[in-house]
Amino acid sequence: MSSLVITLWILNVFFDTIGQVAFKYAAINPSNRDGWHYWSDLFRNHWLWLGIVSYIAEFLLWLAFLTLVPLSQGVLIGSINIITIMIVGRLLFKELLTRYRIIGMILITAGVICVGIS
Amino acid sequence: MRKFYLIGFALLLFFDTIGQTSFKLTANHSEPLEANIDWLIRIFTNPFVYIAIFAYISTFFTWMVLLKKAPVGPAFAASHLEIVTVMFVSIWVFNEEITLMRSIGAALIVLGIIFLALAEKEINQRQEISK
Repeated sequence: MSSLVITLWILNVFFDTIGQVAFKYAAINPSNRDGWHYWSDLFRNHWLWLGIVSYIAEFLLWLAFLTLVPLSQGVLIGSINIITIMIVGRLLFKELLTRYRIIGMILITAGVICVGIS
Repeated sequence: MRKFYLIGFALLLFFDTIGQTSFKLTANHSEPLEANIDWLIRIFTNPFVYIAIFAYISTFFTWMVLLKKAPVGPAFAASHLEIVTVMFVSIWVFNEEITLMRSIGAALIVLGIIFLALAEKEINQRQEISK
């Protein structure tokens, strides 16, 4: 893989993770959940907009990435976002790291490495 | 009820696969890759990009409906198993070659996803008990 492909891959995972975290913050932000107020609160939430901007960036980065790699390889190494989300979930939201989760993360990482070097 | 899950998961995989395939078609049609406005114009004048966007929105809504009722473990796995269907479509539509290394990698990733689905199930049960 060329350095451009690797850069696009890392940026993709980065924006995906930022987007998911931003949406999580937007979702858990306490707001007035009453009809119109709910929507007006939601759309004034900065996290929501950060999430949307990240997703637009990710959309374009994913297109650029797929121009350079075969689709089957692209979707496989793209699954590394599962790992980054779990690590961020652990760090920011104190989500559990159970034995099964650790085994799953190791297997996925090993799989991504196999596909990446193929 | 079983029918609801089957149709739901099938739809989820279907939209996800259509989405990724359309992404790849858009990427191929908008070559060469350039960091400028011409590249963006090539993308957004391509019909496949709208199919990709439509498929993404459909995936999202299918997921939301499914998540309301489906058990979290299988739901988690189903939401990531599109990598398998996309691999088959890649061979068929794009004549991509699935090398041995790539197959091993795919098998490891799928196995990892199954473990994560088991973890979701376990954590969910623990929370049910503590309630």
